[in-house]
Amino acid sequence: MMQDLAKQSRSITSLRDFLELLGDAGQAITWSERVMPEPDVRNIAVAASRDANGAPAIVFDNIAGYPGKRTAVGVHGSWDNIALLLGRPKGTTIRELFFEIAGRWGDAAAQISTVPEARAPVHECRIESGINLYDVLPVYRINEYDGGFYLGKASVASRDPEDLDNFGKQNVGIYRLQLQGPDSFTLMTIPSHDMGRQIMAAERTGLPLKIAVMLGNHPGLAVFAATPIGYEESEYSYASAMMGAPIRLTKSGNGIDILADSEIVIEAEMQLGERVLEGPFGEFPGSYSGVRKAPIFKVTAISHRKNPIFENIYIGRGWTEHDTLIGLHTSAPIYAQLRQNFPEVTAVNALYQHGLTGIISVKNRMAGFAKTVALRALSTPHGVMYLKNLIMVDADVDPFDLNQVMWALSTRTRADDIIVLPNMPAVPIDPSAVVPGKGHRLIIDATSYLPPDPVGEAHLVTPPTGPDIDELSKKIRAMQLGALQ
Amino acid sequence: MSKTVCPRCATGGALADYQGKEGGKVVWTIHRCPTCCFSWRDSEPDSAIGIGIRSAHFAVDAANLDRYVKILQQ
Repeated sequence: MMQDLAKQSRSITSLRDFLELLGDAGQAITWSERVMPEPDVRNIAVAASRDANGAPAIVFDNIAGYPGKRTAVGVHGSWDNIALLLGRPKGTTIRELFFEIAGRWGDAAAQISTVPEARAPVHECRIESGINLYDVLPVYRINEYDGGFYLGKASVASRDPEDLDNFGKQNVGIYRLQLQGPDSFTLMTIPSHDMGRQIMAAERTGLPLKIAVMLGNHPGLAVFAATPIGYEESEYSYASAMMGAPIRLTKSGNGIDILADSEIVIEAEMQLGERVLEGPFGEFPGSYSGVRKAPIFKVTAISHRKNPIFENIYIGRGWTEHDTLIGLHTSAPIYAQLRQNFPEVTAVNALYQHGLTGIISVKNRMAGFAKTVALRALSTPHGVMYLKNLIMVDADVDPFDLNQVMWALSTRTRADDIIVLPNMPAVPIDPSAVVPGKGHRLIIDATSYLPPDPVGEAHLVTPPTGPDIDELSKKIRAMQLGALQ
Repeated sequence: MSKTVCPRCATGGALADYQGKEGGKVVWTIHRCPTCCFSWRDSEPDSAIGIGIRSAHFAVDAANLDRYVKILQQ
């Protein structure tokens, strides 16, 4: 069965394939009862998010005012959906999924194939004049005080304006887009992101910046293309390698490599030097961003499949699809980077608010060693801005099991064994920042005591653990489910 | 200039960008404010679009648009 699941996972080429696979596993439902765009779609998405382990994807096909149009939310909204994407069965633990991803890191080759434009499903329907984004996209307000209608799960592809032929420097990233009328949208980014670099380069040189916005994509792209890899590394190659499966590319009308099987692709060009008001937007810490002036793009064409599915996300105060979408793939690079120096690190849980809180398990090499590892974590690429609160636990604690983490906090933490690092860099949208972009870091050492500490570890109860117990736990759950049938 | 008033910055002149229709009948209209760039659908709850009901915390001061920072400055 495991092999079948892995094979099915590798054969996914599109959102449609994945929704079918999810549906067969009871992990996708169609919501055909009539709903209003606001507040119903949001309410249903939030209600689904409560079940982080088992929530299904939801496809709406009866939204008032959008006859014949479909919207999907929650495609990556639960650990069971992520498990199926990775070729693992429902009920796979978060820890197992973490090691599934960590094991693929840096250990696979990309398989890119090219589909002629005339045969690419994404180009089945083409709009080049009379463009109105609202004709194609059944949008809704994601959070109540968002400044407009947002595309929250769009993968944006662009070429370096100064090196148009370089495949590697082509960027694919998820950026929030706010519709600004029938044929325009704003894009929010920061100078350190690849897109921010390209926008600033285009405005500095006066060269045009053309982009392709992909909606309803191969589900591996959203998981793996959101990862900060090197500027000259292709996100497509990376996503293909991590999925262990081929990725089919074609060209957009404006010359950018896009996924051949996406539901909708919007081609657009930046209006050099122009800025319009953008925001607020309910962001991942669960608070609204401010209103700022952001670059605006004019749509030049739209391609879409027949009867396209508009995929969007609910993001806001956790737990949300955003946490499941990026959580493991936030954790795995930190783990890999720490292991280069410290093989004693056994797992990293940075699931919470994109790693604003991280839990790291480590075999203490000597007294105080966990703190050394914590400081190294703060200097990893993600740690520099995001890892605000770090909880260090021993290797006998599963950082993905919060009951075990609380046990470690309760029994192995001394109140004077914490470190506060004041006035450090912070993510600008962290609501606890002293000023946006600057705040304090906290390290809690919840590992056991070692010599030369005069007080050693107490004699611990050692309940049975390991794969046998994990399997028994799953068996009990399966028997319980069987008893209901 | 339209008389539709923006629920966020209270200026007039909002544009109608799109009408959701069913069987030829208009179900709702999406409006956009050219002053503060707020977009809304006229079928949304009053808590989001009701003038005087919507939270004042999210108002935009149309007389003072310079206060909003421009991102990605050279």
